[in-house]
Amino acid sequence: MSFARRFFASPPAVFGFAVFLVVVAIALAAPFLFARGPLSIVGMPLLPPGSPGLLAGSDVIGRDMAVGLAYGARISLLVGIASTCCAVGIGLLLGATAGYYGGWLDDLLMRVTEFFQIIPTFVLLMVLVAFLQPSLGSAVIGIALITWPQVARVVRGQFLSLRSREFVEAARVIGMGDVRIIVTQILPNALPPIVVVSSMMVGNAILTESALSFLGLGDPNLMSWGSMIGGSRVAMWVAWWTTVLPGLCIVITVLALNFIGDGLNDALNPRRRG
Amino acid sequence: MKLGYIAMRLVKTVLITVAVVLLSFFLIRMVPGDAATVMAGQAGYADEAYMKGLRAEYGLDQPLPVQLWRYVEKVAQGDLGTSYVRRQPVVSVILERLPNTLLLNAFALLVAAAGGIWLGSVAARRPGSAGDSAVTVLAMLFYAVPQFWLGMMMVLVFAVWFHLLPPFGIETMGSDLTGLARLGDVAQHMILPGVTLALYFLASYARLTRTAMIDVADQDFVKTARAKGLTERQVSRRHILRNALIPLVTYAGLQASLLVGGSVLVENVFSWPGIGTLAFQAVWSRDNPLLLGIFIVTAILVSLFNLITDIAYSLVDPRVELGR
Amino acid sequence: MLDRRAVLGAALAFPAQAWSAPGGRRIINAMMFEDPAHLNYPLSNTRIMQEICGNINESLLLFDWQFKPQPNLADSFETSRDGLRYVFHLRRDVVWHDGVPFTAKDVAFSCGVMLPQLNPRSRASFSHIASIKTPDPYTVEFQLNQPFNAFLLSFMASSAPMMPAHIYEGTDFRTNPYNFKPVGTGPFKFADWKRGQYIHLTRNDRYWRTNQPGMDEMYYRFCPTPEQRLVAMETGAVDVAMADDIDTVVTSRMLANPNLAVRTDAYNGTGEIAIMELNMRRWPFSDRRFRAAFLHAVDREFLVKAINFGQGKVAHSPIPSTAPYYDDKVLTKYPYDPARARALLDEMGCKPKRGGVRHRFGIMMIPDGGGYWTRGMQYVKQALTQVGLEVELEAVDWPTQLRRSGNWEFDCDCNSYGEYGDPAIGTSRFYLSSNIRKGVPLTNLQGYVNPEVDRLFNQASVAVSRAEAQACYSRLQQILTHDVAMLWLYERKPVFIHNKRLKNVVMGPNGPSDGFGATELA
Repeated sequence: MSFARRFFASPPAVFGFAVFLVVVAIALAAPFLFARGPLSIVGMPLLPPGSPGLLAGSDVIGRDMAVGLAYGARISLLVGIASTCCAVGIGLLLGATAGYYGGWLDDLLMRVTEFFQIIPTFVLLMVLVAFLQPSLGSAVIGIALITWPQVARVVRGQFLSLRSREFVEAARVIGMGDVRIIVTQILPNALPPIVVVSSMMVGNAILTESALSFLGLGDPNLMSWGSMIGGSRVAMWVAWWTTVLPGLCIVITVLALNFIGDGLNDALNPRRRG
Repeated sequence: MKLGYIAMRLVKTVLITVAVVLLSFFLIRMVPGDAATVMAGQAGYADEAYMKGLRAEYGLDQPLPVQLWRYVEKVAQGDLGTSYVRRQPVVSVILERLPNTLLLNAFALLVAAAGGIWLGSVAARRPGSAGDSAVTVLAMLFYAVPQFWLGMMMVLVFAVWFHLLPPFGIETMGSDLTGLARLGDVAQHMILPGVTLALYFLASYARLTRTAMIDVADQDFVKTARAKGLTERQVSRRHILRNALIPLVTYAGLQASLLVGGSVLVENVFSWPGIGTLAFQAVWSRDNPLLLGIFIVTAILVSLFNLITDIAYSLVDPRVELGR
Repeated sequence: MLDRRAVLGAALAFPAQAWSAPGGRRIINAMMFEDPAHLNYPLSNTRIMQEICGNINESLLLFDWQFKPQPNLADSFETSRDGLRYVFHLRRDVVWHDGVPFTAKDVAFSCGVMLPQLNPRSRASFSHIASIKTPDPYTVEFQLNQPFNAFLLSFMASSAPMMPAHIYEGTDFRTNPYNFKPVGTGPFKFADWKRGQYIHLTRNDRYWRTNQPGMDEMYYRFCPTPEQRLVAMETGAVDVAMADDIDTVVTSRMLANPNLAVRTDAYNGTGEIAIMELNMRRWPFSDRRFRAAFLHAVDREFLVKAINFGQGKVAHSPIPSTAPYYDDKVLTKYPYDPARARALLDEMGCKPKRGGVRHRFGIMMIPDGGGYWTRGMQYVKQALTQVGLEVELEAVDWPTQLRRSGNWEFDCDCNSYGEYGDPAIGTSRFYLSSNIRKGVPLTNLQGYVNPEVDRLFNQASVAVSRAEAQACYSRLQQILTHDVAMLWLYERKPVFIHNKRLKNVVMGPNGPSDGFGATELA
């Protein structure tokens, strides 16, 4: 069975993939569907969902919740995917180098990874974002900087085990340079667990970004699901939808991504499922 | 040999702490905002003379390496400096709040472990059944729920809509209760944040237990027990559960390290007066000594937790030898 | 397991205050959203200080609902015909909380030394003093170098609290240990301060008003988030919610609560106007037409009605409409008119460039954790987009706000300024060219310079007759509103809420800053 067929054989994976596509579609279509943007005030605040013209109600200053939710998808997906790409990039680079060359490089990487396991990473993230001034970019960089160790560990593990395999020996014998070996020989074989880890990281990055925005450390000029929840802390007492709806969006998106991750895991590692 | 291993681990803890101190010192210095400006601004007055005095008082006008050395010296003596905002020694500020966080986390750990193991064992008894799938879906759901939002939903349901539980703080404000009444009051306040903190990990425990029990159930010694005529329940409880504890102990250790650093969100939503809230306030108010102190204390605690879990691990599974 | 937990939760129902106060003591529970840095009233005149220290420190006079001066620490007072000499006769039965008698020496020290040194508002008011004489321990004579018709209003509780000379004289005011255990003459004295938990005041048994205080203890409980404060009021854990304690979003819940009384007049004495300031040293802010366009572009009615949930009143003048000297007839008003705004911008040469944006600038926000300031500025940003002005909202913390505003490192910022009874006290400081001081917040930060305005303010403050002062202030309002010398958004009507179990809580336009001496159980 090919990879694609294995993936789509699992109902949760299909469900997750479909939902994810819908979220992406909404995110991409938002500027065309709602040209005025999510910050546009359309009427009186705190109108309930189902009010005329307001499918999801209005928020605490009279903005259309539905538009905010659609634009929030853009932020979540952007930060989730960008930070994961950065983290994977860093993790690949460092993990591959440490795993392939071993020795003191490997030791150093392990110490650094341990450091990140021991310090309170979320607090570190808050400090980083405060330093870089809260913005989309600082969220991406901050999240990438605290999550790359996960990738590096997996990559390192893969490279450690693969570097002494026969096909690598063969490549060395024919005189291939180290970099070429790493990129063309080992990396393609190391990909499966990296792909799985990455897909889970996107979901986690979305959760982390929303946590930052909730605490007020997100970009103040943009509307994201986390900032919508954060801005509703008092309004929730008189208008439940300002809190419930953005949270549901986060849950649905991350759930979809987790289903995809599970599906990828099963498809790439065909093993007896416990 | 075991003692030697423990000693080595303790030394490692100290080294890691030193590394944390050094790196955190520089990391936190990067946060823009001169401490003197912060303190002066708080006092409502910001002229240069006053700020110069503040800088001298806190040694901020010294070159960075000198500041670092002075700081390391003080840390070695157990003095983590003075909080800029609270004008109190950092150690006492942290010690005031640390028990609250530990209490909350311990409660959450208990709830997560108890609930998770129960759910997981129920699921494992009949793999593939409707109940099993329900547990898996529930677990997946909990993984996807943002902790702070879950907390707010708790507040919405249990305080805004139905006045069942107090949503904020550790005890009723201004109550001056003592003894059992106070315990009850704190317990009541602990329910919502504790359950919120626990739910994510409950999912993990459920899945871990389920997997561990299914794996173990297939192994020989269990089949032997079944052959001997023990009932399903006895098999489940005595053999499977005990052997499934191993990965759970590992996970508990991991969770402990995550919880200590990760309760910022839950404490924030429920205004629980713990280390998480302290850290959040310290970041906002640029209270560098306090922030640094929190990093250090957390690092030490986590290292100790890891050591304890490793020892526990070795006790639970006699096959494991420390210091492989 | 889960069932048992649910049952337990239901059994431990959300308690209404069931316990009784220890030993039958009558307690007022109030809130503070953060610990003040210290309790030296002149040094830091923030709202928290006014609320807490209003019970500890008093001034010579009290002001009634018509802003007429009434005796307080000063039993009686006389003004000379030429307005240059003020004599205060002090009460003879006042003692400080530590037992030392309150005398003229304290007044001379406070008004002559401590207040001018620490407090910008006092410095300005008392700069008119030529000499202070104390012919006997209970008489104080102020000789002014020129008439200052707002002199008596300078003795509002929050503007000129009397400070103990025997504690502060000759010391470094900023580092005096009594900054953390203040001593005053008021109905409540300082008892205890647990940082992060509460400030505890206890009754002054030797208070000179013998029938006061009506309560025994006061606690200011640390309550950092608006949701916590809301719950505290609703459960009765706290009896009093002052100015911005309760977010305007949930005022409706307060109004619907039968146990709570909501007052909107408790802060009339402050006369606060929410404003925005533009750095007039930079183009296009230097052009009057830009400022006029700004006001036309923002629907201030909507700001009050929707963003602020009806709490407030649109401001058309630098002087609040409830204060003396307000003159509606002379004002140039700027109603909501985006088309007019665009026309003005076109006229001054601020035309749309590529992308339709005329000008990009930043607005420095107030760190209120998502409260009404943040919401207001978000609306303003949105409104300005409609006329082609792109705004970036700059989120800062208080130290940064103070530093950048004081050093003029901003395009536009927002704040609220109190008039404190007379334009000469609270209003002039923002328009006088002599009050352009780099590095000092709460001064003429915009850099507005108009010699006619300078002259008129000075003339008004020394005018001996009310009519003369009114003429000056009318002309001033005419000029300032024509110049759009500041962006006045709305007059703040902060809400004061108290539990109905208390009465006599708000006794005058200064509300809590006059202290809770008269408060009793209902």
